[in-house]
Amino acid sequence: MALKEFRLPDIGEGIAEGEIVSWKVKPGQKVAEEDELVEVMTDKATVTITSPFDGTVKELKYKEGDIVPVESVIATFEVGADAGGAPAAPAPAGEAKPAPARAPAVEAGTPAPEASGEGAGEGDADGSDANGAAVRAAPAARKTVEVPRPSSVPGAGHAVAEPGKVLAAPATRRRAREMGIDLHAVEGTGPRGRVTNEDLERHTAAAPQGVAAPAREPVAAPARPAATPAKAPPRPPVSIPAGEREERRPFRGLRRKIAEAMTRSKHTAAHFTYVEDIDVTELVKLRKEAKALYADEGVNVTYLPFIMKAVVAAMRRYPELNSSLDEANNEWVIKHHYNFGIATDTENGLVVPVVKDVDRKSIVELAREVQELAEATRAGKVSVDQLQGGTFTITNAGNIGGLFATPVINFPEVAILGVHKIKQTPVVRDGQIVIGDVMYLSISIDHRLVDGAVGARWMNVVKDCLENPKKLLLGTL
Amino acid sequence: MTLIEAVTDGLRTEMRNDDRVCVFGEDVGKRGGVFLATAGLQEEFGPERCFDTPLSECGIVGTAIGMAVYGLRPVAEIQFLDFIYPAFDQIVSEAAKFRYRSGGEYTCPLVIRAPYGGGIRGGHYHSQSSEAYFCHTPGLKVVIPSTPADTKGLLIASIRDEDPVMFLEPKRIYRSVKGEVPEGEHYVPLGKGRIVREGTDVTVVAYGAMVGVCEKAADAAREKGRSVEIIDPRTLVPLDEQLILDSVRKTGRCVVVYEAPKTCGFGAEIAAIVAEKACEYLEGPVVRVAGFDTPFPYTLENLYMPDVRRVLAGIERTFVW
Repeated sequence: MALKEFRLPDIGEGIAEGEIVSWKVKPGQKVAEEDELVEVMTDKATVTITSPFDGTVKELKYKEGDIVPVESVIATFEVGADAGGAPAAPAPAGEAKPAPARAPAVEAGTPAPEASGEGAGEGDADGSDANGAAVRAAPAARKTVEVPRPSSVPGAGHAVAEPGKVLAAPATRRRAREMGIDLHAVEGTGPRGRVTNEDLERHTAAAPQGVAAPAREPVAAPARPAATPAKAPPRPPVSIPAGEREERRPFRGLRRKIAEAMTRSKHTAAHFTYVEDIDVTELVKLRKEAKALYADEGVNVTYLPFIMKAVVAAMRRYPELNSSLDEANNEWVIKHHYNFGIATDTENGLVVPVVKDVDRKSIVELAREVQELAEATRAGKVSVDQLQGGTFTITNAGNIGGLFATPVINFPEVAILGVHKIKQTPVVRDGQIVIGDVMYLSISIDHRLVDGAVGARWMNVVKDCLENPKKLLLGTL
Repeated sequence: MTLIEAVTDGLRTEMRNDDRVCVFGEDVGKRGGVFLATAGLQEEFGPERCFDTPLSECGIVGTAIGMAVYGLRPVAEIQFLDFIYPAFDQIVSEAAKFRYRSGGEYTCPLVIRAPYGGGIRGGHYHSQSSEAYFCHTPGLKVVIPSTPADTKGLLIASIRDEDPVMFLEPKRIYRSVKGEVPEGEHYVPLGKGRIVREGTDVTVVAYGAMVGVCEKAADAAREKGRSVEIIDPRTLVPLDEQLILDSVRKTGRCVVVYEAPKTCGFGAEIAAIVAEKACEYLEGPVVRVAGFDTPFPYTLENLYMPDVRRVLAGIERTFVW
């Protein structure tokens, strides 16, 4: 039997941490390779991770809701007799019978893949690294044998290090010193009972909470304004409890990601915003008809796909707005594909799923895709792939309200279009004041790349398409 | 521009700039050197400033010392670093000691250029990395570039330096590495390392041809979630200790990569400095990935030289130990 650690992999590109949404297994449960293990939410997407092992779940190191850095050990497994981790029949639950001396010997003699890679790879002529591998492998095997069976506490590695001597990396010792922790009091779970940084954290968490410790969790009760200070002599407390004066919410995950992205954008791109009013009276009529035509198919035809098509038309004329700056190579990357991010408001914050190849899809297809993407995004089920590859972004506040806005560019794209509420407004048509449906569009552009005149001309194309929506249907689209 | 072209460019720039600079060695003049590092210099500057010497390393360096002490700026080429030993006494006993012996009255501003290192299937007389011998001698500076731009900038800085400089050129990347090189004056000060790429989890220190190997390893490590910071010290003496220590204090882990034999290689010195001055920041052992303690093997060259796989394994050992 061998103890195997399962580390949280980097699911997606360069993700730093993930939240354990739910465990699909329990300690003691047998799993086969590819069985679902755990559902993890990263900064942007939720992913179900499957087991790389056949074996028995030994311990789950984190609770649901915990935020876990990538590469942390999140679970341990006991894996079948082949210590090398080759696929083997699931271990019988009884396990742990191999003689203590044998397991290490086996590991040293027939190096496990990672051990041999290390020994040979390290390039030591005298073979000392091969010994190193054996030493390293041994404690893992020993641990399987020595661990008290029923509760399987991690790091019951006492009696391994010499009494009175604590093993710890220099950095761990410094940390302990700074935290005022006596290393002797810490239970070490590393090789040969070494105290790891995680052990320090566990130790601190387990220590009795002093009064000084601030409440970390978001307060469940809704915050209320503090009650007016009572001047009168003490009165029996009113049944409404005074709420917290403030609450502390964790700043991490998606919120922190958004903060970083917005700051980078604002600090890097030279934002300017250009606003135009669009008389969409004709479009409102057309959309009403379209909505009725496709209602049976369950497609909600909104204004957005029409706007997306108008944007494609404008991009074809002025591709500078569909671009990004490759600063590392001093090159301006003009994109001839049209992948539009749709800024989507979710419970946790802003998420931008991407509709790919907008130019090659019909208005109805776009409507359906936008609808599905938005639902998946709000349910937290959107895949990492669906969040990548955008060339331009559209943000729609029209269903909430407002006149216009100055959207922040979804960096490194160079522009973002804000779509706003359609309002009935007096408009002048042929010298007469009539009631028209009018909407504002605001485009924020990175002035480093695109000048105001180009942005204004671009907007004119969009305006023309939306005011004369037949052009969308009859034109090259 | 390739690294070897950057050598020529650096020499030409400084020869135009300063007529005390002269260049010589075996086959350096008419042929332009066996690697063509001095190609075209004799035509431009004449046989008094760029010339061939007899096959005598001791004589080449001895001559250079005399020229330097009398006020010239000699740049001597030793055809391969492996051939330098007949001149060893001149270098470590004479050139390195002039300033000290004369109480600062004389300096010995010479540069000894020599291609070094393996990877060109040159066998043991054309592949060794013996930089540590020279680092061990106080009074010498030891410079090893890893990019064309650094090659030019550091070579010019070496020529202008008042003390003897060993300028060791990683011949494996003479032509395999290309890069932009500033035209005209380009000066990279001795003793200032560079951060090849930034990272957060582990510091890899490498120089010469090993920098490129480490960059590939860092790409591979990234896929495993390890963020690798690569430091190229550029000059071994004087060493930019601060840059290395700052990086290790940030990442908590250190791997040193060099192609010389592991024992007493210069990487061992870097490892010792880290252990001595950043000990309490270390999350794991300082690991050396190096050549083996054997003569440089002709047939097993690829196994001998640290490669991506071995650098990756070394990185991993700083995490799992």
